[in-house]
Amino acid sequence: MKNQPPRLASRLFEWYCENAAIEDLHGDMEELFYLNLEKMSERKAKLKYWQQVLSLLFSDAIKKRKKKSVYHPYSNTSINLAMIRNYLKVAFRNIYRYRYFSIVNVVGLAIGMSISLLLIGMYSYISSYDDFHTNKENIYRIISTRTEGLEENDYASAPTALADKLKAEYVGIKEIVRINKSLNSEVVLDKINIHLQGYYVDPTFLTVFNFQLAQGNASTVLSKPNSMVIIEKTAQKIFNSTDVIGKTIELTDGAIFEITGVLMNPPINSHFEFEALVSFSTLASSETTLKSITEQWTQYNNQYIYVLLPKNNDSEKLQASLDQISKASYPKQNVTATFHLQPLSDVKLGPDLRNSIGPNWDLSSFIIFGTIALLILLPACFNYTNISIARSLKRSKEIGLRKTLGGVKNQIFLQFITETILITLISLVGAIIIFFFIRAQFQTMLVESSALDLSLTGKTITLFLLFALFTGFFAGVFPALYFAGLNPIQALKSQSATRVLSGLRVRKVLTVFQFALSFGFIISLIVFSRQYKYSLNFDLGFQKENILDVELQGADPSTVKAEFSKIASVQSVSMSSGILGLSSSSTWVHSTDSNDSTEVNQFFADGQFIENTKLKFLSGKNFPDAEWKREQYVVVNEEFLKTQKITAPIDAIGKTFLIDGNELEVIGVLKNFNYTSLRSPIQSFLFRMDPSRFTYANLKVVAANGTIAEIEGAWNKLKNGKKFFARFFDDEVNEAYSFYKVLLKIVGFLGLLALSISLLGLLGMVVYTSETKTKEVSIRKVMGASTSSIIVLLSKDYFKLMLWAAAFALPVTTLLLDEFLSNMQYYHVTINFWDVLLSLIILLIMGLATVGSQTYKTALTNPAETLKCE
Amino acid sequence: MKGYIGEFEELVLLTIASLGEDAYGVTVKEDIEKRCDRNISIGALHSTITRLEEKGYIKSWLGEPTQERGGRRKRYFELSHQGKVELHNMKDLRDELWKLSKARLALAGKLIVGS
Repeated sequence: MKNQPPRLASRLFEWYCENAAIEDLHGDMEELFYLNLEKMSERKAKLKYWQQVLSLLFSDAIKKRKKKSVYHPYSNTSINLAMIRNYLKVAFRNIYRYRYFSIVNVVGLAIGMSISLLLIGMYSYISSYDDFHTNKENIYRIISTRTEGLEENDYASAPTALADKLKAEYVGIKEIVRINKSLNSEVVLDKINIHLQGYYVDPTFLTVFNFQLAQGNASTVLSKPNSMVIIEKTAQKIFNSTDVIGKTIELTDGAIFEITGVLMNPPINSHFEFEALVSFSTLASSETTLKSITEQWTQYNNQYIYVLLPKNNDSEKLQASLDQISKASYPKQNVTATFHLQPLSDVKLGPDLRNSIGPNWDLSSFIIFGTIALLILLPACFNYTNISIARSLKRSKEIGLRKTLGGVKNQIFLQFITETILITLISLVGAIIIFFFIRAQFQTMLVESSALDLSLTGKTITLFLLFALFTGFFAGVFPALYFAGLNPIQALKSQSATRVLSGLRVRKVLTVFQFALSFGFIISLIVFSRQYKYSLNFDLGFQKENILDVELQGADPSTVKAEFSKIASVQSVSMSSGILGLSSSSTWVHSTDSNDSTEVNQFFADGQFIENTKLKFLSGKNFPDAEWKREQYVVVNEEFLKTQKITAPIDAIGKTFLIDGNELEVIGVLKNFNYTSLRSPIQSFLFRMDPSRFTYANLKVVAANGTIAEIEGAWNKLKNGKKFFARFFDDEVNEAYSFYKVLLKIVGFLGLLALSISLLGLLGMVVYTSETKTKEVSIRKVMGASTSSIIVLLSKDYFKLMLWAAAFALPVTTLLLDEFLSNMQYYHVTINFWDVLLSLIILLIMGLATVGSQTYKTALTNPAETLKCE
Repeated sequence: MKGYIGEFEELVLLTIASLGEDAYGVTVKEDIEKRCDRNISIGALHSTITRLEEKGYIKSWLGEPTQERGGRRKRYFELSHQGKVELHNMKDLRDELWKLSKARLALAGKLIVGS
């Protein structure tokens, strides 16, 4: 027949409808086509046919018929409770029957999930921050972006002057709370002084925020100057009682406050952290805070503004007037600032702001932590995926049967997801146990740990469960899809057909990823430990042994020197402004010849200090011993000469420079040494001698034993009421690098987790392959293969995978580590061949030991035993 | 609720009833097109039929294979009892409204065709 309906349209229709029952529709269209042929041209009829096909394709009729066809005629279309029960039963049987794999999976997942639990616990607690304020939706903090020259920084603080301006000019604000956190002093007591930290606040602080008063009236306690509200804990510490209203507190700086109220201990899940509140009017009445208008707007550290807007507030209007104020307040100044409203709910986990008022969690470190948690979790999920797919042979018969009896894709998928989720729920129990163990350790590593509570609550447990469900889904989705897609005929007929399909490539990729990760951690561990040793043994260019640093704490340097010099075991006493090698301040140097000024690092010390630390003079001499009335000389380093374009050290001697208004003469030139921490390179530097800047006495001692007691005795003779505080110079320098120890601990722990997860996965795989290959091995043995050749045969694939992993991990790790180390410290080690080799050896030993233990067992089996059956 | 069927649904139901034993896709379509002088797409028709079947107003069964449609069977339709009841409800409702508003609906010597 020549005139047939368009073939393509017909095909398209059949293809689109899959196996839905569309016979009648197809027939209708064909009949209509032949009817149309009698009425119109062939072309038109064909066009009509196309129209009909398209109109059907997009119609509900096809959609519904297709939906019906998804289910097998015998299958129950809805999710049936009885089936779920069956899935669970089969799952439990499988878990029990293949205990070995279940244990590997559960342990791996538990380890992998534990780190994520920390993250979730932390996140859940932090997200509860400041939830107890009833006005929380309408409270905003004013934050600022401060620009000084080219430098732009975001601050949590904002100038108090802004609050005053808003109060005077803007009407839409219900309450303004001004806070100043500079209350940071010591309470004078009979025996020892107790540190007290708190805020100067407006009386509105207690009405805007929900901090409960135990005693006192919220509206009056902070209205008068010099009144203080103290929290119960601190009251107990200072007075041994919480009934303290009317008592006075004297601070070391002479301020006296009257206690007008006692606050219940504030919840720790708040971004405020204080022991006492003092009325803001106290600040206004003390003269020290009077600054010029410009200064008020440009120097506003420790000043915060919170506003309470009326309900259904219009924060945009306030923002607009803030923009206006910022424009008007900084006419042609070096420093400018813009202000923004930050809702209270954004404060807890917001952007990283400087000068934060209390505990501060920034989002970026959370993201880093999240990535790490994911890097540990992923390998564990991969283990599950890997082992499940590898074992698909064992399950294919079951699936084939289920499908033949009417099980459809969705149901098989559901079955395997149920099974995986069951395993993750069991793992969750393990993960929570690990979580309990590492929780305390983890908290000690955090700076803000006092504001974090990681105990289990209903909320965290719910989140943990959700997380386990999610992990189960993630780990199980791939095997479940794979099983659901199995062809029942092939699955039932022969095993060899599915063997090719058992996802060998995917499994290899996943294994390589796991080992690449472990390899990365091992290298990092080795490089960090080398970096730590390198920093400790770095030749800073000066002597730091046998020098005891005593904090002067305001004592007069010359009296201290005289007192300490009397001690026999003290060789000499020098004075300095800090710990050399850790910190230095900076100032500007004006050359007297030209108008140029350059930045220079400075350190205050006397001649004895330079002598004791054995710094090398290239030219010139040390500070003279004689006391002087006026600062006269400086001792500079090589780098200083470079920036001043002086070529020979000898030329520098006698040159004068203007520093801080003093004309100072270069008296000596020192060889370069690391005056500040290894994080920054050696730059232009000079020693100055100004006794008023001395804060440390540096005692060169002969023997450590007993000497300290003697020195302390001498200190007590000064009778200034201060506690003796002294450390050895070298200890102090070494301690500055102790953060590497924390880093090593973290990386080591994470590496251990990653490695153990990978090894567990490997173990699972090896056990499986050895099991399936027992017969092959037996036949080989009968034919005369040696034990060692069989071990090699079974292990060499894994060996290759590990080498691949190392090859992939190496460039990435090298790049990341280089970036990280150079950001962290200017003087750093670089990854060398030996690091790589050592990591590779560790990885291979661990991996091959795992593989070998199983292959060895298989190789030793008696062929008669295994070949006997079947 | 009375009158839960739409205009096109009612049309399809009545056409199926009028065609009797010969009601299948093509005849229903042709009949409606001829009688109402309007073009209906096969997709829209079958969407409606599927909906009516879901609501339980019509029943369907497959006929015997015949030569002219490439050996494909026809799907015949028939009103169910519920469908008949629904049509009666609809008619009653209309009649009632017509009776009430007869005076106002009078056209100058013209009959109303279609709806």
